[in-house]
Amino acid sequence: MADLVGAFAASHGPIIARDWDTMATDHRERLAAGFDELGRRLKACRPNLLVVISPDHWVNFFISNLPAVCIGIGEEHDGPPEPFMRKVFARERLKGHAAFGRHLLQTALDGDFEPALSHRLKLDHGTCIPLWRMAVDAELPIVPLLINDLEEPMPSIRRCLAWGRLLRQAIESYREPLRIAVLGTGGLSHSIGEPTMGWIDEEFDHACIRHFADGEDARLAAFLTEALPRTGNGAHEIRDWVVAHAAAGSKGFELIDYFPSPQTLVGAGFAAWRVAA
Amino acid sequence: MTDYWVSKLFFDLQQDAKLAAEYRADMPGVLARYEIKPDVRQALLEDDVGKIAPLVNAYLLRFYFQIRGMPQDEFIARLHALKAEKGKAHG
Repeated sequence: MADLVGAFAASHGPIIARDWDTMATDHRERLAAGFDELGRRLKACRPNLLVVISPDHWVNFFISNLPAVCIGIGEEHDGPPEPFMRKVFARERLKGHAAFGRHLLQTALDGDFEPALSHRLKLDHGTCIPLWRMAVDAELPIVPLLINDLEEPMPSIRRCLAWGRLLRQAIESYREPLRIAVLGTGGLSHSIGEPTMGWIDEEFDHACIRHFADGEDARLAAFLTEALPRTGNGAHEIRDWVVAHAAAGSKGFELIDYFPSPQTLVGAGFAAWRVAA
Repeated sequence: MTDYWVSKLFFDLQQDAKLAAEYRADMPGVLARYEIKPDVRQALLEDDVGKIAPLVNAYLLRFYFQIRGMPQDEFIARLHALKAEKGKAHG
């Protein structure tokens, strides 16, 4: 049987990659410290598979065909297509894990979830900035779980919690003795391409952190359902943290760092969960 | 209200570097391939952020104006101006 050995979350944002070498040193060092600590912890839990929960930033899907959730079940996936990513993370291919991807898909269907599937995804900056900065081993297979965090209507927070529990069920019912970690990427608050662009809603971010620490799913869902429409659109990526949170058993949240990062336009958050048995 | 064809243009430009280069060189020629309404076409030619913003996903809007070469500070300032206008209208 497989085990969940770690659950993590990190922010991402194109500017982190685009301006990494030119941003203020103290800012870069603080971002680097958050990613480095996550990378250290991920390595310490010795995973042999990583499920990355991330949005798709219009590189795989368009409004002509836009899944709420898509599981990558291919043996490999394509590296980031964005030019600013190729400069810092020049991987053409990322190793997938078809067998676990299919098992997650089948577990979902058996549990009355109907995700889309893809045998080959392009993994954009949302997935690859954390992989790059956390120095994740290129040989570690990735199973992407893409959530629509960008275009309304989006999956409810209740459903994201259910996805997290389903992911845990899939891990624990997988027959091979894999050590599986999960990583949610995105958030915390940010505002992109809308009249509040650049706004970092620290009040929202601190409330999220309190709710993750509280560990009460109903309160977390109620808060986010009410608060997300009132804050910047980038905060919808908190869904990816919610999936990781529920996969970890909704307990044991540990904030590694949080700070508003106006230079990268995000409320930068880094977190881990002490995984409940 | 989402405008499918403007969204499709922005999506295609993001996906295809050659198309983006062509767009920079010949905007009217590329726009002619999409079923874009005349007033929206004009807004695209004039980089009218306020007119285009309600028609497309905000992330696609950002990508588009990056491709257009609009500096981020200017793009943000134009978006913030929309907020100010909205405030006045509801004032």
